[in-house]
Amino acid sequence: MMRPTEWTMNRVLAVTALALGALAMAGQPLRGHVVTLDTQELAAIVSADVDHVRPSDLADAIVRGASDYRLIDLRDEAAFAQYHIPSAENVPLTRLPDAGLGRNEKIVLYADGGVHTAQAWMLLRAQGYQGVTTLFGGLDAWKNDVVFPMTPTNPTPAQAAQFDRALHVAQFFGGHGRTATAAGDAPLVMTPPATPTATSAGPAAPKGAPVAKKKKEGC
Amino acid sequence: MNAPFFKFGAFGDETSLIVACVIGIAFGWFLERAGFGSAKKLVSQFYLNDLAVFKVMFTAIVTAMLGVFYLGWMGVLDLNLLYLTDTNLWPQLVGGLVLGVGFVVGGYCPGTSLVAIATGKIDAIFFVAGVLFGVLAIGEAFPLVRGFYESGNFGRLTLPEVFHLSYGMVVFLVVLMALGGFMLAEWAERHFGPANEEA
Repeated sequence: MMRPTEWTMNRVLAVTALALGALAMAGQPLRGHVVTLDTQELAAIVSADVDHVRPSDLADAIVRGASDYRLIDLRDEAAFAQYHIPSAENVPLTRLPDAGLGRNEKIVLYADGGVHTAQAWMLLRAQGYQGVTTLFGGLDAWKNDVVFPMTPTNPTPAQAAQFDRALHVAQFFGGHGRTATAAGDAPLVMTPPATPTATSAGPAAPKGAPVAKKKKEGC
Repeated sequence: MNAPFFKFGAFGDETSLIVACVIGIAFGWFLERAGFGSAKKLVSQFYLNDLAVFKVMFTAIVTAMLGVFYLGWMGVLDLNLLYLTDTNLWPQLVGGLVLGVGFVVGGYCPGTSLVAIATGKIDAIFFVAGVLFGVLAIGEAFPLVRGFYESGNFGRLTLPEVFHLSYGMVVFLVVLMALGGFMLAEWAERHFGPANEEA
């Protein structure tokens, strides 16, 4: 039996725990919505051109059926329903923090142009999302570069081969080539994909990328 | 660098599996060293004559809680990124009871049964076979129990939210509860424990 004044290991640990517990009452471990930004790091990322993907690279990934990224459409639901890039998920800007995105996931953001996308990119980067990128030029660039690629005038053999390939990709997404003169004549309307998410396996349908799997965690 | 490292992308899926394996082996080793590979030791807590399981587990909880709290306070660990399972009150109450009954009857909980297998206990092999059968049975019967499984959902509840207390106050109260529990456990062992019967 120990004497009351004896400082055994158990007692030292108990007093330490008590002291740390008491000190904890003065602490606040949750950061809330306040974040610290490393502006130099962000500037370096932007200037190194690694903060965006080009529409043609995204199209290749979708055609390939890559599923190692999540494509986020930042526009409102109506615009999303009218047209969206196959495999995209609709997450308007205000719902972005609660969208269940993983900080270690590759995320590609897009909207019509570039402003909202850049703002969303900044929001996510500030919250520690490392793999977030934007679709360069947004849906406008997607439409012009991927769905309705411009036929080159007097192309070199290399350019012709490149356009031929782009044409195949365009057809995959329900588009076609266009010429410089015809560009202003007929309105180019992108048709929505047959299903909102690319889960069906129709060979001719413009959808190839499976929806990113949501990670389950637990013990 | 900030933690949780996996969530911040410090390493990928493959590395995370290696890390999980190392942590798992260490966890099992410490359980075994605490004597938790023995069903007799584990079950004796229910007879109040050896509360080592309670003391070891609560020590681990308090240590981890203080570590997480202070790392969060220092800005090293982002607590918002820690995974919390949803609270599904009714199925979790029933599941806890089933696990408790299984613990008393079988002599192990899932983790300690694997530790016991590692040390060559034959009863643990039967226990784990029973666990696997239970997992299979509930998996096959899942459509029947889905409604109950998803009932009583309160989302991701935390004690500070439920009791409207600050995070630090909850930490302090849990420490007090643990220390009080340790004193009660020592008292119970002195009164109900077999005096020097087993080393």
